Amino acid sequence: MITLYLLGAASVVLTLLGFFVPARVTRWVAVGSVGATLAYLFFTWGQEQTAFGGLYVVDSVSQGFTMVALLGVLWALILGRTEKWEFPLLLVYAATGMHFMASSPNLPVLLVALEVFSLPLYVLATWRRDERGFEAGLKYFLLGALSAAIFLYGIALHFGATGSFNAGAEGSGPLYVTALLLILGALAFKVSLVPFHWWTPDVYQGSPTTVSLMMATAVKAAGFAALVRVLDVQDQGLWGLGLGALIALTVVFGNLGALAQRESKRLLAYSSIAHAGYVGLGLFSGTGAPAIGFYLLAYALSTGLAFAVLAAVSQGDVPYERLRGLLYRKPVLGVAMGIGLLSLAGLPPFAGFWGKLLVFLEAARAQQWGLLVLALLTSAVAAYYYLRLFNLLIDRRQEAREEGGAPVAAGLAGTPVLSGQGAGGLSLATGRSSTATLVVAAALVVLLGILPGWGYRLFSPVPFAALSQAAAQPAALPATFAITSPSDGAELRADEFSLQGTGNAGETLEVYDNGTKLADVTVGENGGWSLTLPSLPAPGEHTYQVRRPGESEGPSVRVKILE
Amino acid sequence: MNYDALMHVGLFLPLLAGIALLIWPSLGRTFAVAAAGVTFLLAAWLFAGAQGEGAGYASQTLLLEPIQMYYALGLDGVGLMLWLAVSFTTLLAVYIAQVPIRMLGWALLMETGLLGIFAAADLVLFYVFFEATLIPALLMLGLYGGRERLKAAYTFALFTLVGSLPMLAAVFAVRYLGGAPSFLHADLAANPVSGAAATWVFLGFLVAFAVKTPLFPLHAWLPSFHAENHPSGLADAMGTLYKVGLFAFFKWAIPLAPEGFAQFQGLLLLLAAFGAIYAAWLAFAARDWKRLLAYGGVSHMGLGALGLFSGHADGVTGALFLLAASMVYTGGLFLVVGRIAERTETLEIGPVRGIAKSAPALSVLTMFLVMAMIGLPGLSGFPGEFMALLGAWKASPWLTFVAFTAVIAAAAYALTAYQALFQESPNRTVPDLTPREWVFGVAVVASTLLVGLYPKMFTELIHPVSEALAKLLGGGA
Repeated sequence: MITLYLLGAASVVLTLLGFFVPARVTRWVAVGSVGATLAYLFFTWGQEQTAFGGLYVVDSVSQGFTMVALLGVLWALILGRTEKWEFPLLLVYAATGMHFMASSPNLPVLLVALEVFSLPLYVLATWRRDERGFEAGLKYFLLGALSAAIFLYGIALHFGATGSFNAGAEGSGPLYVTALLLILGALAFKVSLVPFHWWTPDVYQGSPTTVSLMMATAVKAAGFAALVRVLDVQDQGLWGLGLGALIALTVVFGNLGALAQRESKRLLAYSSIAHAGYVGLGLFSGTGAPAIGFYLLAYALSTGLAFAVLAAVSQGDVPYERLRGLLYRKPVLGVAMGIGLLSLAGLPPFAGFWGKLLVFLEAARAQQWGLLVLALLTSAVAAYYYLRLFNLLIDRRQEAREEGGAPVAAGLAGTPVLSGQGAGGLSLATGRSSTATLVVAAALVVLLGILPGWGYRLFSPVPFAALSQAAAQPAALPATFAITSPSDGAELRADEFSLQGTGNAGETLEVYDNGTKLADVTVGENGGWSLTLPSLPAPGEHTYQVRRPGESEGPSVRVKILE
Repeated sequence: MNYDALMHVGLFLPLLAGIALLIWPSLGRTFAVAAAGVTFLLAAWLFAGAQGEGAGYASQTLLLEPIQMYYALGLDGVGLMLWLAVSFTTLLAVYIAQVPIRMLGWALLMETGLLGIFAAADLVLFYVFFEATLIPALLMLGLYGGRERLKAAYTFALFTLVGSLPMLAAVFAVRYLGGAPSFLHADLAANPVSGAAATWVFLGFLVAFAVKTPLFPLHAWLPSFHAENHPSGLADAMGTLYKVGLFAFFKWAIPLAPEGFAQFQGLLLLLAAFGAIYAAWLAFAARDWKRLLAYGGVSHMGLGALGLFSGHADGVTGALFLLAASMVYTGGLFLVVGRIAERTETLEIGPVRGIAKSAPALSVLTMFLVMAMIGLPGLSGFPGEFMALLGAWKASPWLTFVAFTAVIAAAAYALTAYQALFQESPNRTVPDLTPREWVFGVAVVASTLLVGLYPKMFTELIHPVSEALAKLLGGGA
């Protein structure tokens, strides 16, 4: 509730405040309130709550996806400096809608939330006030209105088929399938799945880059949060086929489309389409919400890095050539962009790799082998266009190409030079704050790449508190750990077995061979552990024992190793 | 002494040192050499600790709980031997190569990736190291390479990435179709996939590992990779270490899908033998040293692959031994060629002749390494080649005969090039070895002699593991 109140209050206060104080102040008030909301989210992580008779639900999905959306909004707020006080205001309105979108299982409420965050975006898309901007805004608005209408129609049919306004209600029959497909289509528009993606490249290119950043990160998170709730039904049947077809089309056309681009923002637009397809892979298994959440977080940070660097170069178009040799001209921007691109391409050890791995695993769990192979093949295509951009960054030949005094050196040392076309008064936050966001985001991409468990846990229903409690009470653990394989007295060949046993999930145990310590093992979530013998044991009698750290005894098995 | 901790330190020390060097290049070469030296000493310490009782090291911690993915490291005899080879070659490379300081940092980053590949005991972790190593390799090529470096970088990256993606599919399949509870090597090996799935799983691994062996016809990225890299040979030596395909077949692909391997065994033997002779032929035609060494490497890996795919314990031992030995002598040759190129300003074979007259010590050093590559008994190349061919003979005498001609061809191409550069009538005088190069030369020659004269030091440790694999495949010892 507090999250919603904080965001709602910030919107109202900012609306009124804008008449009395300068835009600079409203911007910092907006940053402060979104930041405070994020902080509140973290402090109350894992606390579930229901309000308004079940219309508003705070759970792991709501918290995780709201966090991703708010991070995107916050980033755009910090980067986007403008004379007009409406800019931060619109972003905060959008954030409110996104939070509601992630937190309601009720379809009509979802529709309202969808409109609440879409309307500010239509305005923001036209921010540059040039022909491209108007085209972007109009296109976004018309298609957005159409998708809202489709959504409404889907809700009506859904109610007819199930008698319920709740997302995830079970039903059957053609009416039900049609309803789900309509709702899927409407949400597919928001997250830009092919063939509902046509607006994406034009809108991303026509909007100021900071706004594109927000669209690519926050809007996707909100859209997928709703999809996770709507598609949380047991029987996949026909709509499963529909979703599969959408994803197949998306990964193929998103990546092929990106291949043909020569302008960075359009490239990232197509890449965002392709990534939406990969995220969609997580929807099949029914247990994919944490994987989807992690993917969106990793994707938001990585694509955010790329967009933020582009924003530092120009709020308008950024043809590839302007990025040539960026690493040498402006190392911070070059490194940030490089990390973002490699993470988008899904290379370890960056966060994007784990996102891909997790959603692909969900697809494998759901036995969607065909889609999985298709996704992997198209990932190879994706690697090509990301690497092309990456190679430009590290190419030294830039000096030779720079002609006609083009402002290629823009974005250096925190003095961004806007491209010739008007940016509607939206300039970039200079210097330290924008560099700081780049550094923080790049560090997070690397950190999540090395310790993916941390990020994943944010989205999984098991809250932090429970985990840390389990770790804090080792004394209370019952003595239930043992070696289950091989059995006591077994006669085995040296290369024929591995040690396996049971224990308390998460506990660390020590394994001994004739009193010599072999290794530490950690008991898995399923209460089991196993250990490959580090080397082949010598023939003869061996006593394998497992002990708690610090203890000198424990259950053991005697094994005879044959010659 | 807690050896497990040494393993973690040894793995990540080069990474941290490399990052430090990238941020503060003023730390200089001494810092890089110290870091690589400590890593080598740690590897040697681990190796020494494993002697006698025949033990190895293992450690595992859950990294990503919901999918049961572990940060699991395990070093058995094979892993320890390869750790020694990698850390020794890296030390030699950062010690001798004349490159921008930051490039040494990338080399150190790459060392961590390589050590991780050989130590990972979890399939996903292995994949992470396997892929992540690409980034420093790519950057060394892209940042410091020759004129066509970006094109070479594309070729290299695409071969690697396109190869790795089928492997990722195989990673999922081997877990979920095999029914293993985690991605740990032990669990996966205990639940191998079978039937049609095994064929597909092995095929997935095959593509990725054939690129990195490199196995004909997926070796095509290699010549341009070497030709375009920095002339000092640092990146080439590190690239040589990155040819981990044989090890990956041995540790992952074959034990996890033995049925799939059985399906492809005949084809693989044929490819290995043909690749060995084909690459030897190309090496003979090569006009510059780097291409010659690149194709020579492909040819020797073909021999190794023949031994490994024979499925006999001797062949497997020979393949792994050859892999480790070739890391050192091929890496060393690339570095020596780099030193020569700095003196003569060309990598081409032909324009510069007869420099043995002015640089006799240099010519002796090169001679030692070339002889090791040819497989002269008493030097490090011989035991591996011999055992690989011995194993291959038991599987297929005819293919072994074909591949054996590649051994003879090696003498032809390597000695012809050597003769042109060192022994014909001199048209150029060059300075002889500097004190620094003397240290390098003594170290590398000593290592080839030691390994060549006392191979038992390593075979003792790897033979039990090879026999286990041979038994899995139903072959005799």
